[in-house]
Amino acid sequence: MSNEAQVRRRIVQAAGVTAATFGLLAVAGCAGGGDSGESGGDVTIEFAQWWEPELPDGEFRALMDEFEKQNPGIKVELISGPYAATKEQLFAGAASRTMPDVVGLDGAWVSDFASQGVITDLSALMEEAGYDDSELASQVQVDGSTYMIPVVNFVYPMFTNDALLADAGVKAPPKNRTEFAEAAAAVTDLGDDTSGWILPLSLETPNGIQNDVMSWTWASGGTMLADGGPDVTNDDVASTVDFVQGLWDDGVIAPGSFTMKEQDKVEEFTNGRVGMMIDSLAHINLIREANPDLEFSVSAVPAEDGYEGERGIPYASWGIGVAESSEHPEEAFKLIEFLMSQETNAELSSIAGAFPGNKTSTPDFVADDELFADAFEIYQAGYPANEFTGLPVAEQLMRLFGEQFQVLLDGGQTTEEMLDKTQAAWEAEF
Amino acid sequence: MSETRTTMERRRSRQRVGVVIGLVLGAIFAAAPVLWMLASSFKSNTEIFELPPRLITDGFSFDAYAAIFSDPEKVRFFVNSYVVSLSVTVLTLLVAIHAAYAFSRFDFAGKRPINMVIVSVQAVPPITLLIPYFGIVVALGLYNTYPGLILTYMVFTLPYAIVMMTGYLNTIPKELDEAVRMDGAGSMTALWRVLVPVSVPGIVSVGVYTFMIAWNEYLFALTLTRTQDMRTVPIGIQLLMGQHSYEWNELMAMSILGSIPVLVLFLFFQRYFISGLTSGSVKS
Amino acid sequence: MQDVIVAPAPQAATPEPPRRRRPLSRTAEPYGFLAPTLALMFVLMIIPVVLVVGYSFMDNVILNATPELVGVDNFVTVLTDSVFLTATGNTLFFTVGSVAAHLVIGLCFAMLLNSPLIGNIPRAIFRALYILPWLFTAAVIAVLWRMLLAPNGVINYLLSTDVEWLASPALALGTVTFINIWAGYPFFMVSLLAGLQGVPAQLHEAATVDGASAWQRFWNVTIPQLRPIIISLTLLDLIWTSQQFALIWMTTGGGPVNVTEMLSTYTYKLAFSRYEFSLASTSAVLVLLMSMVLAFFYVRHQRAGD
Repeated sequence: MSNEAQVRRRIVQAAGVTAATFGLLAVAGCAGGGDSGESGGDVTIEFAQWWEPELPDGEFRALMDEFEKQNPGIKVELISGPYAATKEQLFAGAASRTMPDVVGLDGAWVSDFASQGVITDLSALMEEAGYDDSELASQVQVDGSTYMIPVVNFVYPMFTNDALLADAGVKAPPKNRTEFAEAAAAVTDLGDDTSGWILPLSLETPNGIQNDVMSWTWASGGTMLADGGPDVTNDDVASTVDFVQGLWDDGVIAPGSFTMKEQDKVEEFTNGRVGMMIDSLAHINLIREANPDLEFSVSAVPAEDGYEGERGIPYASWGIGVAESSEHPEEAFKLIEFLMSQETNAELSSIAGAFPGNKTSTPDFVADDELFADAFEIYQAGYPANEFTGLPVAEQLMRLFGEQFQVLLDGGQTTEEMLDKTQAAWEAEF
Repeated sequence: MSETRTTMERRRSRQRVGVVIGLVLGAIFAAAPVLWMLASSFKSNTEIFELPPRLITDGFSFDAYAAIFSDPEKVRFFVNSYVVSLSVTVLTLLVAIHAAYAFSRFDFAGKRPINMVIVSVQAVPPITLLIPYFGIVVALGLYNTYPGLILTYMVFTLPYAIVMMTGYLNTIPKELDEAVRMDGAGSMTALWRVLVPVSVPGIVSVGVYTFMIAWNEYLFALTLTRTQDMRTVPIGIQLLMGQHSYEWNELMAMSILGSIPVLVLFLFFQRYFISGLTSGSVKS
Repeated sequence: MQDVIVAPAPQAATPEPPRRRRPLSRTAEPYGFLAPTLALMFVLMIIPVVLVVGYSFMDNVILNATPELVGVDNFVTVLTDSVFLTATGNTLFFTVGSVAAHLVIGLCFAMLLNSPLIGNIPRAIFRALYILPWLFTAAVIAVLWRMLLAPNGVINYLLSTDVEWLASPALALGTVTFINIWAGYPFFMVSLLAGLQGVPAQLHEAATVDGASAWQRFWNVTIPQLRPIIISLTLLDLIWTSQQFALIWMTTGGGPVNVTEMLSTYTYKLAFSRYEFSLASTSAVLVLLMSMVLAFFYVRHQRAGD
């Protein structure tokens, strides 16, 4: 054999490795990507959300099965991911036009997705379908059109540890800020690693700013906006910031705030180390399961001393929207209709431990459960307040606020500086 | 004479004590956090955060493990991770050994730029690659398939494997394979008959690490798969970190279970790390 | 497959001295060996990277349907952002600290495990214990250490303190670096352990006969032998550590304030919190440029080693 032939042979051998590599992959490919075709004329709509893993096993799928039964010819494929990554996944999908038809949304993302043309105008869909929206408790709008419908709402009242408060000589849950500060100090004075209040300020998930800080402003009827633009230097926000800083300086807030997340907050409360927290109703069942001996109550977030008006109560939603790129918007809207119907909405609320997005739905727990009944009363006495919902880059706004707030609490600036810098940073984003 | 022997023995035993102390301290550093994780996987969710902390609690149970094994969806995560990680390991090693051989033993036009590109492109933060990458994978029809994940992980493991294999091959004296080639054997023979057997420890350590990268990768596994039956273990773990709360004990149990394959792989192959296999041939 | 590869080269056809035909084979062969790597890397790595580089010169891509070229505006914006500079400094501290500690700890553990003074069974047990931190995905490591380091966590309990390891601006950067050190040293340890097997025993014997102390043998025999591996490891670890994201994101999210803000978390926030995908790409390109400097030195070293 000639030398050239030998060389050629070697090249062929090396090329063989390449071919074999891709060949192997092709085999694996056939094994892997089998069953994605649509079955016999049915329309399959994809529904991306983080709800299924949050709910008891199989319960959400069961609702979808019910939908499929009621709507022959439509199949629902659930695409479930972890909450923390949902936004990135939707974003990546949007960028390459492979969005699922129906998407679970958080109020904080709506404006961003709507302005990118990723999610479609639901007002138009509702009109087309001749849908009567009078039963909807709320709709999240951008520029006058609805882009998200809150399916269920998790409200954030104040949780109090009855035993700790009683030990500290506090007879009833505090109703105003002064009472709250006193109660917090009294619980902290019990020693033994207990703290009056707990405040998660993690910058990874900065929703502590919304739920645990701004809630104080809303509870006193305050606002952080003016004419749709930021207004964090107003007295409503300033008094909240001063109040929280006062608690911080008194040392009544549990340690670890700067990197604490909502999940950590609940663990500390569940273990009886914290007197009070502002938290999602979604946690009631979790706390009971984890620590059956813990006695706690829920009440409205304390307001400014002397405030008698209606109290805003913060909430977080599981919202729903339809992708702009969906080829089956009608079927997608049928799914939304189904989820918002009186019966289904009540059922979903019951399994999620949330308040219904349909005004006429009554979840089971309101009748059966004292704590939920209390919360429902608070909810009805006040109004749902979450000014971050529908704002552009809402999560970034919370983070910017959080960063400046951390500097303030760390002693690096005054309240005035903090608010001015936050205002400037927010204005840059609007 | 006998006196010096005793001093030597005494010194040796003192050295041994030093080595053992060092090993034990190191083991505490390495293993204590994992021990805590293991202990937590047997606790109830509340006990994990109780004060004072205890290693073994009243609520000791295998419930968390039972919950995982009884859920076919979670078992499927493990199957997927095995398929993907094993394929990635085998293919990466095969491809990387050849590339490293080229870099270690040949001079050719473009060697430096190619090497530089391979080394440096992996520095682009994966998070920014996510969106263009996703588009390409969808365009190639690899979305939500095993090959999509396998090829992706190969792209991330190859630079590492090539760099390390080149390093290992460079520690082997050139005379060894030159001698074989002088006898008229081809490059492939020199590589597979001489270099590969000599670099088994290196290949094994690269292989174990490649497997581990593939096994533990999360971001692309999540983005490039869509359906629950294609998800891998790290996603299964992340799914236990909910919007409002974590399933701590199940989270810990799943992490422990997830770590076992890599550990087994390591234990199985660790004899290759033990002295004697290679030093003989390198000596000559 | 192996059969194909090791097919014996024909014996009969080597009448000429082999040196004469080597130049020819050397020009063609290496490309064959590299072909699979290059094909894969081109499609799945070079193309996305080129796209990202392209984004960095445009106004906001993805948000805009028709992005326009804006030259180096994005680079000016990013480079003059004080947070970017802070992030660069933090990344430098985090990376250099982690890599140096990985090397020292990895080498120490590898030497201990390689010590002839312990039996094979204890050796195997310790080897298994030492690789434990390696086995977990970054999310789990983050959750585990958050749990251990919480103000009411085990570590504070054992030390009888209530330090906010992760939440205190003074400690957070050191703490995440420590966690990363814990998580990453086995990579060095295992690779160096494998490398130590290649150090010829004779060299040590010869050095001992010459009267070299243990330290001298380590410094003059072991280290030079391991040098190529150490250099490869250090290079890879520098690149990997500098883009560590999940661990930092899930422990501190870049906080408190921005004391643990890294280039990776900064880039992430640009992309997914502010939807400034072009700026995120710009930041990524800057990271790429920095590591190309590293890669350049590595490649130069490779050639010097030839």
